[in-house]
Amino acid sequence: MPKWFTPAVALCGLMLAISPFLIANAPYESTMGLVQKIFYVHLPSAWMFLLAAIVCGVASLRFLFRGDPRHDRLAWAAAELVVLFGIVTLVTGPLWARKAWGVWWQWDVRLTASLIGWMVSVAYLLLRKYGGPGSDKLAAGLALFGMANVPFIYVSVNYWRTIHPTTSVVPTLPTSFGLPLWFSAVTFLLLFVLLLRARVRLEEQRAQLDALYLSVDG
Amino acid sequence: MMKRTCVAVCLIWMLGLMGGVRPGEQATEWPSMTVLHAQQPEPQDEFVPIDELPPQDQLPAAPLLVVAYAFVVLALAAYLMSVARRLGGVQRDLDRLEAELKRSGRS
Repeated sequence: MPKWFTPAVALCGLMLAISPFLIANAPYESTMGLVQKIFYVHLPSAWMFLLAAIVCGVASLRFLFRGDPRHDRLAWAAAELVVLFGIVTLVTGPLWARKAWGVWWQWDVRLTASLIGWMVSVAYLLLRKYGGPGSDKLAAGLALFGMANVPFIYVSVNYWRTIHPTTSVVPTLPTSFGLPLWFSAVTFLLLFVLLLRARVRLEEQRAQLDALYLSVDG
Repeated sequence: MMKRTCVAVCLIWMLGLMGGVRPGEQATEWPSMTVLHAQQPEPQDEFVPIDELPPQDQLPAAPLLVVAYAFVVLALAAYLMSVARRLGGVQRDLDRLEAELKRSGRS
C-alpha cells in the first residue's frame, strides 16, 4: 500500500467519528423534521455512486482502447463501489421517502434511472465473475452504459416533473445544513478513495498470483 | 390446435383471476395509486431550518432514521471485511507460492 494510505485511514476514521455529532447538531428541516437527517448519508453516498460509475466508465474506455490491464483493474474495483454506494443510496432513499412522501418508492425518472445504473453494475460484476474468457471487454462495454446513465440521473429532476428534490437544494442550503453535509461528503469521498485503493490492491495481488502460477506451470 | 387454444384461454382466464379481473371485464385502476398521486406534495427547491421539531413528527421518523444509519454502517463494515478477507486470502496464497518457488530453487 502507498505511504499515504495509513494516515488517510486514520483521518477517515476521525472524520467518521466526528460526523455524527455535526449531523445531530444540525437543525430540523421545517416540513420533513427528523427524517431529513438521512440526507447527510443519502446524498454523499449518491454522489459516490455516480462518481464510482464515472471512474468505472472512464477506466473501461481506456482499457478498451489501450488494453492496459491496470485500467481494467481500476474499472473492476470501481464497479464494486458502484454497487456498494448504490445500495446505500437505494436503501436510505426509500427510508426517507416513506416519511417525507408517504411512499417507499416512486417510479419517477431519477429513482428508476438510479436503479438501472445500479443493476448495470451488478451485471458488470456478474459478467466478470461468471463470464469466462473475454468477459473483461464485454464488461467494459457494459460499464460505458453505466457511465452514460450518470448525467441522465443527475439532470433528470430538473427536466421531468418529479417528487424528488431538485439540484437547486444543495447550492441554496443554509450553513447549518451545509456544514454537516459537506463534512459528510468529504468523509465519504475519502472513504471512497481508500476503498478503491484497497480494492485495486486486491486485483494487483491477484494478477501477481496469476503470474506466479504461470511461472510454476512453465 | 383446439387443445392449445383451450389451454391458452384457461391461462388467460386464470391470470385475470389472479389480477382480480375476469375476461371481458374492464380493468380498473388501482384505487390507492390514484389517491397516492393526488396526495403527492410539491417537489422542494430549498430546505428551511426550524428550531423545534413538531411533536407528532418525532416518533414515526426515529426508527426510519436509525435503520438508515444502521444500514450504512453495516454495509460499509461488511464491504470492508469482505475486502480484508479477500486481501488476506490472496496474500496467503502469494506467500505459499513464493515459498514453494524458493524451495524448488526458482525465483
